[in-house]
Amino acid sequence: MEYYTQLTVLAATAEASADEGILAALGIDWMLLAIQLVAFLVLVWILRKFVYPVFIRIIDEREEKIEASVKAAEIAEQNAESAQENVQALLKEARKEAKEIVATAKDEATAMVDASDKKAKARADKIVADAHDKIEKDVIAARKALHNDTIELVALATEKVVGQITSAQLDKKVIDSAVKEAR
Amino acid sequence: MDKLHISLAAEPIFHIGPVAITNAMILGVFGVAVMLAILFYAARALEQGKRNRFLGLLQWCFEGFLTQAEDIIGDKQTARRIFPLAITMFFTVLITYWVAALPGVGVITWNEIPLFRGLPADLNFTFALAIITVVASQVYAVRKHGFFGNIGRYIKNPIKDPIGAFEGILEFIGEFSRLIALSFRLFGNAFAGEVLLMVILLLTSYAAIVALPLVMVFEIFIGFIQAYVFFVLTLIFTSLALQTHGHDDSHSSSLDHSPADTSKKAAVAE
Repeated sequence: MEYYTQLTVLAATAEASADEGILAALGIDWMLLAIQLVAFLVLVWILRKFVYPVFIRIIDEREEKIEASVKAAEIAEQNAESAQENVQALLKEARKEAKEIVATAKDEATAMVDASDKKAKARADKIVADAHDKIEKDVIAARKALHNDTIELVALATEKVVGQITSAQLDKKVIDSAVKEAR
Repeated sequence: MDKLHISLAAEPIFHIGPVAITNAMILGVFGVAVMLAILFYAARALEQGKRNRFLGLLQWCFEGFLTQAEDIIGDKQTARRIFPLAITMFFTVLITYWVAALPGVGVITWNEIPLFRGLPADLNFTFALAIITVVASQVYAVRKHGFFGNIGRYIKNPIKDPIGAFEGILEFIGEFSRLIALSFRLFGNAFAGEVLLMVILLLTSYAAIVALPLVMVFEIFIGFIQAYVFFVLTLIFTSLALQTHGHDDSHSSSLDHSPADTSKKAAVAE
């Protein structure tokens, strides 16, 4: 395929420049310019009247919604902050109360332990005292029993050794003296 | 296609009375119709509470641009007043640029003239947009500073403030340079894009099936960039026109700056 170019532009420009001026060479026609100018202004008017308000209204509505959401979020944040502060205050109070309760409990426990100690000590002392009394009594009883048994034993022994029956008075004298000696 | 037909000007296809209907206007009307269909569908669907991905994307873009406009202008109320103009420029440039990248544009001919041509590749259209931008910024400036206050931005007493007077002249020239810069940037990009598509089509022949889509995607990207640049510059020029100058102490605000700063900002923006 054979190509050839027809560069009308240069020739046309040169001719037009010479004959009608540079504006005509560039294709500027005042009537067309005016028509396009007016047509464009009409286009702007139509769009400004019928189209753009819809877009702008939607944008404004969305902006309002966003602003309202931001305000709501700020209020929620403030509420959350105040709630947090309340929680902190309550926690602080609760901790204080808990400390007081613990301290009171400790005191009471200490008092109870002291009382128990005292009671236990008193009881233990009593038990020990009772035990001492009982032991003393037992010892006395044992001594008495031993004494009696010894008397009987000595009497029997003496009876057997002496082989004679003595009066009870004599026996007692003899026995007592024997016991004293034995001691 | 065996000819490379390049014309700097949009070419008339037919006439309605004295008005020549150019190939750029035909595709422009189609592009604007598509844009209106999309926007009206979106507005109606949103009003009915419908939600889908496309509507979400459109709404997301719209909201992003509105936020950007408010950031650039500084004052929410003024930003919302100028926003419809700026966003319409964005959508119009975007859609008409994109439809110019469709297959068939520049190829289908009528009496050896391409039947379709991208609207942004018509200097009449880009110049009209630039005029509207500059005039709108002046209107808003007059509303804010008053007629003489606005004139005072450009004309200063050279004896009292020689530097300010010089800067005023530069500012005045700057307004015209903005007009030229806005219109020729968009026109140049769109025109170059169309020529590029034609050249690629001619050079690659049957391989154009593979090559053209890549360039078309690139053109779509460039179209978005150009539309966005036009949108942002419209807002910046308005913002610069609205800013109070340091000499006006009674009305000074946080946006106060010297005329030199204004020129620098505009230059940086351009």
